Amino acid sequence: MKIQSQVSMVFHLDKCIGCHTCTVACKNIWTDRKGAEYMYWNNVETKPGTGYPTRWEDQGKYRGGWVLGGKKGRLRLRLQGKWGTLGNIFYNPYLPTLDDYFEPWTYDYQNLFDAPEGDDQPTARAISMVTGRYMDTIEAGPNWDDDLGGSQVYANNDPNLDHATEEERRLMEEIGRVVFFYLPRICNHCLNPGCVAACPAGAIYKRGEDGIVLVSQERCRAWRMCISGCPYKKTYFNWSTGKAEKCILCYPRLESGQPPACFHSCVGRIRYVGLVLYDADRIEAAASAPQAELVQAQRDAILDPFDPKVIAAAQAAGIPDAKIDAAQKSPVYKFVKRWHLALPLHPEFRTLPMLFYVPPMGPVLAKMDNGKYDTMDAKAEGLAPMLSALEKSRVPLRYMASLFSAGNEEIIRKVYRKLVAVRVYMRAQRVKDIPEAEVQKALAEGGTDAREVEAIFRLTSLPTFEERFVVPAMERETAVEALFPPLDPIARNYPTHKGEVGIGFHHDPQRGM
Amino acid sequence: MTNGGVWRLLRIAALATIACAWVASPATAKAAGADAEAGKQIFQEKCTACHTIGKGNLVGPDLKGVTALRPREWLQQWIAAPDRMLAAKDPVGIALLHEFHDVPMPNLGLSAAEANALIDYLATAVPGAAVPPAEAVSAPAPATSAPAASGDPEVGKELFTGAARFRNGGPPCMACHSVGGIGALGGGQLGPDLTTVVTRFGGAAATAAFVGGSPTPTMNAVWQRTPLTADERANVVAFLAQAAISERPTQAIWRLLGLAILGLAILLVAAGWIWRRRQPDGVRLPMLARQRNTARGQPATAPRRT
Ligand code: SF4
Ligand code: SF4
Repeated sequence: MKIQSQVSMVFHLDKCIGCHTCTVACKNIWTDRKGAEYMYWNNVETKPGTGYPTRWEDQGKYRGGWVLGGKKGRLRLRLQGKWGTLGNIFYNPYLPTLDDYFEPWTYDYQNLFDAPEGDDQPTARAISMVTGRYMDTIEAGPNWDDDLGGSQVYANNDPNLDHATEEERRLMEEIGRVVFFYLPRICNHCLNPGCVAACPAGAIYKRGEDGIVLVSQERCRAWRMCISGCPYKKTYFNWSTGKAEKCILCYPRLESGQPPACFHSCVGRIRYVGLVLYDADRIEAAASAPQAELVQAQRDAILDPFDPKVIAAAQAAGIPDAKIDAAQKSPVYKFVKRWHLALPLHPEFRTLPMLFYVPPMGPVLAKMDNGKYDTMDAKAEGLAPMLSALEKSRVPLRYMASLFSAGNEEIIRKVYRKLVAVRVYMRAQRVKDIPEAEVQKALAEGGTDAREVEAIFRLTSLPTFEERFVVPAMERETAVEALFPPLDPIARNYPTHKGEVGIGFHHDPQRGM
Repeated sequence: MTNGGVWRLLRIAALATIACAWVASPATAKAAGADAEAGKQIFQEKCTACHTIGKGNLVGPDLKGVTALRPREWLQQWIAAPDRMLAAKDPVGIALLHEFHDVPMPNLGLSAAEANALIDYLATAVPGAAVPPAEAVSAPAPATSAPAASGDPEVGKELFTGAARFRNGGPPCMACHSVGGIGALGGGQLGPDLTTVVTRFGGAAATAAFVGGSPTPTMNAVWQRTPLTADERANVVAFLAQAAISERPTQAIWRLLGLAILGLAILLVAAGWIWRRRQPDGVRLPMLARQRNTARGQPATAPRRT
């Protein structure tokens, strides 16, 4: 057992209102720079939709992540091996084009002030932030398919629908049944990151003490293999500095005890951050599990921080007590491992993403009847049968399974049964319009009990700031000590100084070596 | 041991004389004889590649009687820095340049004192007597003092191209020089093309002396420690003399062009095959185009690429 700690995340999709505040917070802090205009380290997608970059989930095109089938059926990068890297080193055919992201633009605001007098109102034309030329038609943006905009094209081409039946497609498009939800995405800071494995320069690394995946701006040589290697397309290429960049999980904020900016600013309070302890020796086995067992294998790699054996091993591995304590309080541990509610996004990419999603409940079917808008099928026995009729969900389970459980519908069904139990139980508590027998039935089907449901409800709906964000002292100094000779206070010969570690901005990144 | 005693006395006397001379005489008044000795040394090391004394012209003129022909000042300046005098358009220098095949004399990096010594030597040198063997550095006793076109051009070609090795391990000439008659791709570009070198240098003997002495700084750096043997020189020069006749055939240029086009075509085909899966339009634009086709009456479920 080789215990390590990782800053891990949960997004509760039922609560996301699609306001993009997270995106704006991230953009303003990190990517409001030349060369980074098109990057959204955090972005919010509408599902069904093609996302950003277009159809990023289509690994037939982008070749991200891992597949089984290397030597002796072991894991190998879907992108290429050593020889493929060499052959494609100067031209990688699997990269998204700028058009697949979008061409970033600003507006010629000055014209509003400077335009000569004329018959028409002056306008602010769009200007490309890449070429600096006027853009006459803007054809794409980072969330072009927001709220099902242009859904005839964008929602229809969602790669998760590639295997949907004609009937399912028709139902999802039917007016009155149309449904969508939001999927905020950041780098998953994976346990088995494809970006790290694909980099020929060895410039990407996963920090040992907190699992944050970073690109060294000094060692990056602009080969751009990480962009292909990451199945989530969460590394980006800065065309101005000629270096790859990605989400850094706001490590400067984490190191000073604050949650990342997108978490902090989230309006729907959907985001949770906390530490988990995992067994690094189990990573390979977890990543190469059969497709249907991937979710469970990843859960198994995460360890119980209350288990005395785990605590002893963690202490032996040099994990400070404050971190073990934080791991016990971690909301992520509860959602992922204790309640089995949060699932990784596209586990079939086999990078073991450490950002987990609680899948959204589809809205209850409703219809207009005699001028009265009502839920369908509400009969004498109340809402319960309807709430628990998963088969009637507007979003087919198969679609959710394709997103969150590598196609394993059983896992998704279990998650929903528990979520339904929480709803039924709490409605019975508050509104008292559901018979006790129905409540018990829902609890039994969800495989849960009243105490657990109350805890889930509390962490879902009423969590305090401190409950959502359990950020321990990162103890960066201990991690650094291992890399450098001990500080020498007498000779004042400090080998380290501020900013020396981490992403390594000793100076601004520049093109070239 | 009277013998030993005499020797010792002599040695002491000699040392004393030298010491006295050292102490007593100012540096400028050094014995002319000693200077001439030093000059002879320099001449053998640096000049014999291009000059003789009384044995006729090589690349450069025969220097017999040159001290009578030119004023000492001029000689001092010329020997010390011929390039600068040519740059300053010295009329005598220019005339000489044209007379001797337009091969400029290289700057040998001699100090003023060394130039003086050299002039002293030139003034005293007995015609012929002091002419050193050209290959003084390598083979002390040359069988043929002037290797003419007696070598084997075939062997010379092999040596030139590196098919055969030089005995002392020097690099093949082709590494730095090109010449007619060695194929379409020619040789290196560091040194000049040698196709017409024998005519330019005024004959095989001159060329051979030049090759043996390697007077230019680049040649010197390469060949000082790995000199050619007399036979090798003869062979290489024989080949060069032949190359001057054969010239570089014009169709070699066309062959080169053909090779380049063929190579380009092979590279393009290979690149097209390796990267045959590329989609220069990306994903979004083809997706829109597909959707537009579907809207134009084709079945709503057009086959989808997965
Ligand atoms: S999600 Fe992040 S850590 Fe995982 S492969 Fe992509 S860039 Fe790397
Ligand atoms: S800020 Fe929160 S609620 Fe708003 S879009 Fe982002 S994740 Fe969703």
